[in-house]
Amino acid sequence: MKLITRYNRVNLLTTVIVMLITGFIYYQVISLILINQLEKNLEVEEDEIFEYVDLNHHLPQVFKSNDQQITFTEARPGSVKRQFINTVYRNYNNAKYARRHPHRNDEEFETGRGLITSVTVGNKYYKILIVVSTVEAEDLIQIIFGITAGVILLLFVTLYMTNRLLLNRLWQPFYYLLKELRLFNITDNKDIPLEKTNIDEFEELNKAIISMSTRVKDDYKELKTFTENASHELLTPLAVINSKLDTLIQTDSFTLKQSKLLSDLYSGVSKLTRLNQSLLLLVKIENRLLETKEDIDLKLHIEDMLVQFEEIFLDKQLHVMADLSEKELITSTYLVDILLNNLLGNAIRHNHAGGEIKIKLTDALLVIQNTGATGPLKHDEIFARFHKSTESEGSGLGLTISRQICENLNFTLNYSYQSLYHIFTVNF
Amino acid sequence: MKILIIEDEKGLRESIEEYFTEAGNICETASNYDEAMAKVSMYSYDCILLDITLPGGSGIEILKYLKKNNNTDGVLIISAKNSLDDRLEGLDLGADDYLVKPFHLSELRARVTAIIRRKTFNGNNQLVFNEINIDLLAKTARVNEQSVKLTRKEYALLLYFLANKGKVVSKNAIAEHLWGDGMDLANNFDFIYSHIKNLRKKLLEAGSNDYIQAAYGMGYKFTS
Repeated sequence: MKLITRYNRVNLLTTVIVMLITGFIYYQVISLILINQLEKNLEVEEDEIFEYVDLNHHLPQVFKSNDQQITFTEARPGSVKRQFINTVYRNYNNAKYARRHPHRNDEEFETGRGLITSVTVGNKYYKILIVVSTVEAEDLIQIIFGITAGVILLLFVTLYMTNRLLLNRLWQPFYYLLKELRLFNITDNKDIPLEKTNIDEFEELNKAIISMSTRVKDDYKELKTFTENASHELLTPLAVINSKLDTLIQTDSFTLKQSKLLSDLYSGVSKLTRLNQSLLLLVKIENRLLETKEDIDLKLHIEDMLVQFEEIFLDKQLHVMADLSEKELITSTYLVDILLNNLLGNAIRHNHAGGEIKIKLTDALLVIQNTGATGPLKHDEIFARFHKSTESEGSGLGLTISRQICENLNFTLNYSYQSLYHIFTVNF
Repeated sequence: MKILIIEDEKGLRESIEEYFTEAGNICETASNYDEAMAKVSMYSYDCILLDITLPGGSGIEILKYLKKNNNTDGVLIISAKNSLDDRLEGLDLGADDYLVKPFHLSELRARVTAIIRRKTFNGNNQLVFNEINIDLLAKTARVNEQSVKLTRKEYALLLYFLANKGKVVSKNAIAEHLWGDGMDLANNFDFIYSHIKNLRKKLLEAGSNDYIQAAYGMGYKFTS
């Protein structure tokens, strides 16, 4: 859920609840005031009747009035309790009323408020019922309530729109930062470009991110330097071992067992050497230290390489099929060589005797596919450092290097498996 | 030939010295910058093996010194730094070749021999060993004036053996020399065996002596 949705939801829900409660209270209070007002009017009328009876000693004449109706009925003395009641108001052919409700009949019942009271005239006891219409008051309440509701709705809409606009605007630096963070690449030398903001929180976030990214990059750089130095330091002892081995085999004759041991030593050292060189190479590619630009005739390059590997193809009885069209690249020969060497090397190394290698070069892509001893490989794993099949004699860095080279040259390298063929595709 | 080995790592220096020392060769060594400078300024050598990182200074400075003094000594840089810039800088400053550590002594020997050959046989492109005669320019070989048809790799192999006469050359070294980085593709070196077998057969058929011998299953030796 987006922050703004969440915020709006909470905010608007509270607003609605508060407004409903206030609306209810408002309605009640206004009703109370108006009813109170009506009751006061009724009491005034009651007083007038009492005064009239006191003065004249008979009941006042009952007028047909628009506002109120008064009825007198004889009752048993003491039987009437003074009280206000909700009742109906019978409206007679009322001009004002008819104007307002033309579709209604002449005689209508309206809600009314009544006062039951009593008066004694001479020795007769009368119950008095004074009724006023509450329609006018209710109309008033409705108008007031309508206006209030309108204001509330307006407020509601304004609040919603302002929140939306304001929050979107306020969070702009955040989204910008998020976008930049997604683009963040630890191997890149670029810093995260930050937008200036005068909101303290975002300013702090920016600062934190700058310091974090700097720290991460420094750590990474240090790690790379360490790898590079360690690999460099290893080269000299390796050179010593190599040269001592070369010297050792010049001495007297060896037994079969000794020469087998020496052979194993040789291959161990050469494996270590290659591993070390791969590590150094990887660091260099990541540091973009190998970015020369040369014209490369890729077709010619691949053909040369196939000639170079000829004996190995023969040795492993591999059938090589090449379908090459002209392709020019302007980039580092060194890197392209390593890339081709690695990919072709894999196609040879992981092949079985009598297998096939198909190479296809077009303007847009280079496809190297080979038969292999194993089934499909896991796409994510094969490009990971030091991932290799159990029987592989490689360093486990070949495909990592290949992918890194492709990334540097803005190519993409992908793996797929189709009907017994392992397929590596380079998209230029 | 007279060779100066400038290398601070004792083990490596001694191995190189031992490998190069034989009848007709004089090897001198220097283990630090000052010693090296003293030697290059006083004597002249057919080839100087120069390590770049030295105690007391950089091998590059020695190279600059040699260039400034129009010294014609051949220079081969042996460095742990395999960077293109270093390589180019070294070659720009007049080094003849650049070899990255670790290397096989036989490879070093082949490179040094090539440098000295270029320096000393000005205009003469013939390499003669007993009845074998190699035209370095045309890249052809003859035995007793009879031409031997060699493939590119067989030719390279012959040159490599001639540079390492009397030494046991390991299969690893041969494979690395002929195939470079592609070497790690095959763990058995059967395909080397077939190359050597072919070369040997061609030389024998042309009437040459049998010089190439297998050495205890781990390498070959070109006997003189």
